[in-house]
Amino acid sequence: METIQSNIPRRDFLQRTAAGVGAGLVLGAPGILRAAQGDRGGRINVALLGHGKQGQVLFESMKNIPGLNFQAVCDIWKYNRGAAVGHVYALQKQRPNAYEDVEEMLATEKGLDAVVIATPDFWHSPHTVKCLEAGLNVYCEKMMANTIDGARAMVHAAEKSGKLCQIGHQRRSNPRYRFTLEQLINGNKICGQIVNVNGQWNRSLSGSQDIAVNPKIAMQADILNKYGFKDMHQFMNWRFYRDLSGGAISDLGAHQIDIFNWFLGAVPTSVFATGGNSYFKEREHFDNVMALFDYDTPQGQVRAFYQVLTTTSAGGGYYESFMGTQGTIDISEIPTSSNIFRETGDQVPSWNYLLERGLLKPKPAAPKPKTAGVIDSRASPPPEGFMLPGEMNKPAHQPHLENFFAAVRGEAKLNCDARHAFLSEAPIYYVNPSALSKQPIVFTPEQLSV
Amino acid sequence: MSNECCKTEESAECGKNEPANECCKDGAAEGCCKTPCCVANLGYVYGVMLLRLWLGVRAVQTGIEKYAGIKGVDQRIIIDGKPSTYGLTKLDLEKVYDLKQYHGIPASMLEPFTKEPLMPGFMLPMYDKVLGPALLVLGLVILLGIAPRTSLFLLGLLYISLTWGLILLGQDNGIAWLGTHMIMIVMALALAKHNRLCVLKKW
Repeated sequence: METIQSNIPRRDFLQRTAAGVGAGLVLGAPGILRAAQGDRGGRINVALLGHGKQGQVLFESMKNIPGLNFQAVCDIWKYNRGAAVGHVYALQKQRPNAYEDVEEMLATEKGLDAVVIATPDFWHSPHTVKCLEAGLNVYCEKMMANTIDGARAMVHAAEKSGKLCQIGHQRRSNPRYRFTLEQLINGNKICGQIVNVNGQWNRSLSGSQDIAVNPKIAMQADILNKYGFKDMHQFMNWRFYRDLSGGAISDLGAHQIDIFNWFLGAVPTSVFATGGNSYFKEREHFDNVMALFDYDTPQGQVRAFYQVLTTTSAGGGYYESFMGTQGTIDISEIPTSSNIFRETGDQVPSWNYLLERGLLKPKPAAPKPKTAGVIDSRASPPPEGFMLPGEMNKPAHQPHLENFFAAVRGEAKLNCDARHAFLSEAPIYYVNPSALSKQPIVFTPEQLSV
Repeated sequence: MSNECCKTEESAECGKNEPANECCKDGAAEGCCKTPCCVANLGYVYGVMLLRLWLGVRAVQTGIEKYAGIKGVDQRIIIDGKPSTYGLTKLDLEKVYDLKQYHGIPASMLEPFTKEPLMPGFMLPMYDKVLGPALLVLGLVILLGIAPRTSLFLLGLLYISLTWGLILLGQDNGIAWLGTHMIMIVMALALAKHNRLCVLKKW
């Protein structure tokens, strides 16, 4: 099997990668830009760009954030546009200005401070670049773009404009994730040496079906074509098309592979992936993908496995698992999928001090099986279970949006600015090529750099 | 249940404090006749008073509980003795009373009732609305002693309606529990003539 490899010496590559990572991932200081806001008593004028499903999820979170004025909404589909106007009016009793075209909105609207972009992936880069160049601070949903060059353009535009650009890897602002990384993994090193990382997003068939639309409210063909869609099916199901998105690995996997990189403080050195259309045979993207990543971290080698399935939800849903010599942390946006395990054995220090300090909670012991007996003499006793000491009491995206708007006010640093999002996302762009070519890809600095 | 010392039942009423010789004209034993009638009936008086108190408090508090609910209050977790700055919270559950929390029929019973063929559909929402206020009103009326016989009778009818519902759901323990309430109501009715501290003793 041929390996796609660069001609850069490995040592140089690692050093350069480490330098890039060191700028943010390791040091945990991802945001370096701040934006001052005009004197409007802290009010931020916001435009909503894209009000489909994800746009509405973000809006529901933004409703809880004080000081936002939704001045304009933009969506190419009249139906979504009307919904956006209705949602904003219901919130602030004032109709926002509505636009079909982003350029018209940018040319017309005065006094906008920020835009929240939740358009299909292939529009992320053009929209973000346009808005940054128009002087707006941008919150853009992940994946940054459907191509790595599109993502690069976003970083360049953000840095050239001096405006903020937060990418929607919302776990980076989730207090459960931040607490786990800062207090448990880095602060108290409860995992010991992390040697393996697992992650998955298993989604059921019912959750993976094509989205249909009532023909009565469908868009006209000329509007669809103008904005890059060949028909309404493609508009509603852009995630299945190669020219419009990266498929399941970027749609679902990007969130979790970002956590691999963030928690390990490193980017992978290689990827080897496989995938196929096991069930949805007519779709352009694979319906399931499995990827292996190798990491060289300051604490040693780490192997990571990630799978995304769109054909079954069994097996624990979605989570990321960091497995170390002394403990394992399973973390997920779903609190019930989060678990912490302490390895048994005398060489593992007691975690009682963590309980006393309030950093962990004991997990209620599971009932013992009725049938006793050793199946295999080499079997390990079950590890001791623990839980995080608290939960997040907000919608999943709210803290990340709060962080963005606090940064717009100059009160915080971005938790996931475009450059650091790029460093973390870059390896994901090579998963599909590896699966398609059935070849491992050893990354070159050029491949992963801006 | 009349006092043997007393000539008539009416003379046994407490508060008249008749001298012993006045109620011994029918030649009852001398020792007995030395006890004032009201003192001799004190047991019945206390008995019915306790029954009224029990049944009244039971009904009033049950009615109030229909307005009770559990409210979750997020508290910041404590790490090293200080509130955490991460935004992690734990949910502390508090019992609250509020008109918005009202639930006549417990939520766990509502659905099973809707599946009962003998339960008229239109009655459920009506009964759900009436039950709490009815318990409150009847309990208060019994405590205050307003038409004690009638109010006890109405409370008995209410408990019969509850019993019928529990029979439909096959909840035998609850039926037995309500049965003890019925016995107490009957006892209170039987002792009604000894009622004291009543706003309206009639009926």
